[in-house]
Amino acid sequence: MICLLALIVFGFLGIFSLKYRVIALEALDCVFRRVTLRKCDTGLDQRLKSQITGNLMRRNPGVGRFMFKHFEVISWFFTILLVLSLAQSGLGIYNFVAYGNCNGKGSDEFCIFDPLSTRNNQDSSTQLLTQCTVEGVEANPENLIKPEIGASARFGNKDAKVTIIEFGCYTCPYTKQAEGVYEKIRNDFGDETLFIYKNYPINTHNNSYQAAIAAECVRIDKPSEFWAYHKALLENEGELTNNTIISLVEQTTSVDIDSFNLCFSEGHTENLVKKDIRAGEKSFIYGTPTLFINDEALVGPKTYREIKKIIELELKK
Amino acid sequence: MNVDKIRKDFPILQKKDPVTYFDNACNTLRPTQVMNAMNEYYEEFPACVGRSHHKLSRLATEATNNARKTIQKFIGAKKTEEIIFTRNATEGINLIANTLSFNPQSIVLSHSKEHNSNHVPWLRLQEDGVIKHETYDWSSDVFNLGKFEELMSSKVSLVTMGHTTNLDGTTIPAKEVVRIAHDYGAKVLFDSAQSVPHHEVNVKKLGVDFLAFSAHKMMGPSGIGALYINEKNFTELDTFLLGGDTVSETTQDSYSLEKPPKRYEAGLQDYAGMIGFGAAADYLKRIGLKNVEKQEQLLNKHITEALIGKVEMIGPRDSLLRGGIFNFNIGGVDSHTVAGLLDSAANIAVRSGVHCQHTWFNKKGLDGSVRASTYVYNTIDEAERFVKEINKLIKLKK
Repeated sequence: MICLLALIVFGFLGIFSLKYRVIALEALDCVFRRVTLRKCDTGLDQRLKSQITGNLMRRNPGVGRFMFKHFEVISWFFTILLVLSLAQSGLGIYNFVAYGNCNGKGSDEFCIFDPLSTRNNQDSSTQLLTQCTVEGVEANPENLIKPEIGASARFGNKDAKVTIIEFGCYTCPYTKQAEGVYEKIRNDFGDETLFIYKNYPINTHNNSYQAAIAAECVRIDKPSEFWAYHKALLENEGELTNNTIISLVEQTTSVDIDSFNLCFSEGHTENLVKKDIRAGEKSFIYGTPTLFINDEALVGPKTYREIKKIIELELKK
Repeated sequence: MNVDKIRKDFPILQKKDPVTYFDNACNTLRPTQVMNAMNEYYEEFPACVGRSHHKLSRLATEATNNARKTIQKFIGAKKTEEIIFTRNATEGINLIANTLSFNPQSIVLSHSKEHNSNHVPWLRLQEDGVIKHETYDWSSDVFNLGKFEELMSSKVSLVTMGHTTNLDGTTIPAKEVVRIAHDYGAKVLFDSAQSVPHHEVNVKKLGVDFLAFSAHKMMGPSGIGALYINEKNFTELDTFLLGGDTVSETTQDSYSLEKPPKRYEAGLQDYAGMIGFGAAADYLKRIGLKNVEKQEQLLNKHITEALIGKVEMIGPRDSLLRGGIFNFNIGGVDSHTVAGLLDSAANIAVRSGVHCQHTWFNKKGLDGSVRASTYVYNTIDEAERFVKEINKLIKLKK
């Protein structure tokens, strides 16, 4: 059994070094002989057994003796462990290729194949999740229901096969973090998708609701300039005051500031924001951003690769 | 003899926690003197021997001639011409097997503890129908000259025997074997790879016709050995390899052979090896082969007394009959595993397997054995460490 273990381990190491390749070939010969009910005559099994046991004996004779006596059983144990690990790794690779995430669709768990992903930054992601969670709603992705498109902000082709609906909050750092990826998705997929943004201001956040009203005011006046203002609001996520909200309109849009001030101060677009919130409640949104790609729901910021994979799968359907 | 002083000549033994090297029947360690002698050739006169007429060539020729003379004296040969440099003892034996003329169906007699080097060449000749190979069954502790003589007849043209066996360190009564063989008109070849390094061997006193040995088993370099050919036998041998140095004259259609030893040393030789070989013989001579033998016997006695009855020994129980070799098995534990454990757990180097003695092991139905073989630089402390580790391994079975 040690030969099978050696074949797997040294076979992998052999990719990088000729030295290990020679041992792997020896192990292969040994495994082949055992499979064909012959004795392994390379001596590799004895060599490995004596080296492992001998090194243990030098440090702790008792442990060495235990290893010697139960070498075959221990070899089996590690072989099974290795095979299971390899199977798990294989599944991870499959998930990564198929869904852009080695833990399966929409998972927020650590993924070693994607070390730069935000999901791997556990400390900040825990903090962000706390900050962007809706109180009183069970955090259960199973409950999420795709909303109607409604009259919310949109980008792309209204007849597109794939509809992407985002629930976001302008004062949520998580929504801010995801925006870069979403913007690239909008740009790269263009008319292949219809991207909808729905306001879901977290009720514990200051100025989140006002920012949503302001964004809708810009959209009502100049729909084509909504996305630039939307981006500007998120870029200033930590510093949103009424003054910032107004000055960003001046900096990023050609909207008439007087008519904007009127819209903003009198809350002309509040009904649009409330409609989005109601849609969010019906969809059991428990945190922002939440993304629906057709019926597929993703909570929290995901990598571009992950979202792209899902869109491509939906486009192929 | 001061073993500690001898050990200082071996760089490998001066390291921190040095290896306990008990694989001397396979290959010995080399002292600085041998390495320096070889380096001197490469650094000072790395030239052809006997071909060119410049200073470097003269120095190289002189050094190799001296080496040959040293080897000649080391084994008590009459003339330097009787010393042929070979790659090793195996090549020396093959040289005789391929050059000695045999009468049809003549018998070549060996014993049952032969190294493959002195077994396979004769099997090959038997396969070719040149000779009939017979074996003296050496199963008793002491070589039985009576039984050996029973196998002798005028049909035996060559007695070729391992002088000291690498299996268990036992030694044949060489002088008597030569006498009996000569009485029947047979030539005698000794595979002395395990005897020349460990006890005094004098070819003149033995009266042997041919004697092959290797440098690497006597602290000399690897890849060099020597074959002694008693000068009386030069005319009975055909040529072996031919080419540069083996001929004194050639024309388009003919050639004249050189005299021995050149006749048998074809092509450019391992001059550094020859010089190192000479240095090794000098080194051993200074220590004294009686001292070498005494030290090996002391160590083997210590090991044998401590482990007898605890392990399955191969060979006579009397350590004095086994030189420096202690060959054994720990019942139920594979020999390679034992050797590997000694290496990895205690930094003790021993040999495991069948030691090129497949025939003997096949006959006994054994997979192999563990062979500890000592030499003059090994100490009682090392022997004690070895015993202690073997005792630990014996406990593995329990």
